[in-house]
Amino acid sequence: MFGPLGLSLAPYVKSSRTLSKWIQPIASWYADASGYRKYGFKYDDLLVEERPDVQRALSRLTPRENYDRAFRLKRASHASVLHAPLSKDQWTKPEEDVRYLRPHVEEVEKEDQERAHWDSLSVTRK
Amino acid sequence: MLASRASTARNLKRVARSFATVVDSAGVKVAALDYNQPTSAVTVLVKAGSRFEPKPGVAHALKNFAFKSTTKRSALGTVRESELYGGVLSASLSREHLALTAEFLRGDEAFFVDLLSSFLTSAKFTRHEFEEYVLPIVESDSITAIADPATRAIELAHALAFRSGLGSSLFASPHNSLTVNDVKSFASSVFTKGNIAVLGTGISQESLSKLVEKSLGHAQPSASAASPASKYHGGETRVEGFGGPQTVFIGFGSSGAPSNELAALAAHLSPQPSVKWSQGLSPLSKSIPEGTSVQTVYLPYSDASLLGLLVQGQTVAGVKEAGKAAVQALKSAAAGGVQDSDLKKAIAKAKFTTASAVDSREGLVSLLGSKLLTGSDASLASALSSFDALTSATVSKSATALLNSKPTYITIGDIQELPHADELGL
Repeated sequence: MFGPLGLSLAPYVKSSRTLSKWIQPIASWYADASGYRKYGFKYDDLLVEERPDVQRALSRLTPRENYDRAFRLKRASHASVLHAPLSKDQWTKPEEDVRYLRPHVEEVEKEDQERAHWDSLSVTRK
Repeated sequence: MLASRASTARNLKRVARSFATVVDSAGVKVAALDYNQPTSAVTVLVKAGSRFEPKPGVAHALKNFAFKSTTKRSALGTVRESELYGGVLSASLSREHLALTAEFLRGDEAFFVDLLSSFLTSAKFTRHEFEEYVLPIVESDSITAIADPATRAIELAHALAFRSGLGSSLFASPHNSLTVNDVKSFASSVFTKGNIAVLGTGISQESLSKLVEKSLGHAQPSASAASPASKYHGGETRVEGFGGPQTVFIGFGSSGAPSNELAALAAHLSPQPSVKWSQGLSPLSKSIPEGTSVQTVYLPYSDASLLGLLVQGQTVAGVKEAGKAAVQALKSAAAGGVQDSDLKKAIAKAKFTTASAVDSREGLVSLLGSKLLTGSDASLASALSSFDALTSATVSKSATALLNSKPTYITIGDIQELPHADELGL
């Protein structure tokens, strides 16, 4: 329920102009402060991937996206071994931090819901 | 008594109007045929066969993309919903056409016409469906086809006989470089109004054209697909085969609209007996050794046709003997060896084959489909009556013309031992 795939107030905040104007700077500061960008990660690299739906979403990335993701994970784990963040030129810039995986996860989730719907459908004769 | 008389009158009316009439419904050709079958079927015929494909294998991939997700419903929804209605969906590909068929109980036509047309107008062609569902099936289709020597021989024969256009294979290579964008752009170029015909059986003309108008009315209005006119070339190839019978295909082709002479010639040569355990009356059947089979293959297309004899057997010696007999039979037919009585038999056989094909839905689609799309007379009567004009002179004349062209000769199996074309007398 909690975590990157759980409930979120973000859509509500984004839909209101005043609220997003107030919260956007805090959000950007928070994302920067959480430190994953210093290790060259994008936010979607942090999604919990040990679940079947995210695994299916991962298989739908383009070969290029897959390669880049593997590269970021490898680079970050190397930095972790060295106990130091990457050099500043390798940090993820805020405009590079795009949600490349979330649309796929949402699509898979929708498919699973649809399957559950068809599996438990009760049919009435017209 | 009155009741019986009334029903006879109705029957008469039905017989008189028992064949499809073609109606233009919002730019799409629609034909329907109803003789009170318990089930209905609707086939959407698209000029998207392999001869129109811009890249090898795209048509095959498009066929396997049928009934995947559209903006209206997902692939799973398509399957589950049609299961609830008890319908059967199928797609088939020929060199000329892609046919999408839905068979269902009477009364469900609104749903199934909508399902078929939503694939034509709003298919999504997603990359993950292409990779997860379409490519594995394309690959297994192709591997199965290659494993069967008869299918392989006929594929190779087309490639040699017609080179491009009709020569392109029905199957994508198992190691293809197709992408979803190839399929998408091919689909958008062929799913246009001038390219689509809708054929219904067990459904009335009015209700079908109304449904088609509603659902396909906003398809892209554009000209039909064109492919360069077919030209016959011919040639010889030998392919190593692993397992399966020794196979030889001896074929001849002609360009131009298919003629009934060739159909009659194929019927004349065909050693297929009409009665079980008998030898058949073909000039060939006496000289085929035990354990070897000869089949005539007659494939008419819109602007060319291929007539051939497919010889298959367990031993090379048997295949060689049967192949010699097959070539001899062709030559004697060309030299005027078709007696009038033989010709009558052959014409009756060819007529029966044509007429009985219409009993099945696939046969009906293949007979009517091409005529529907070109706008020529789509009736069985015209297809049958044209056989009556044949004489033994015209048949042997067309056999001579056939033999004068370069043969298409394919061998699959033990290529060290199997005969070359000249050894069979070609």
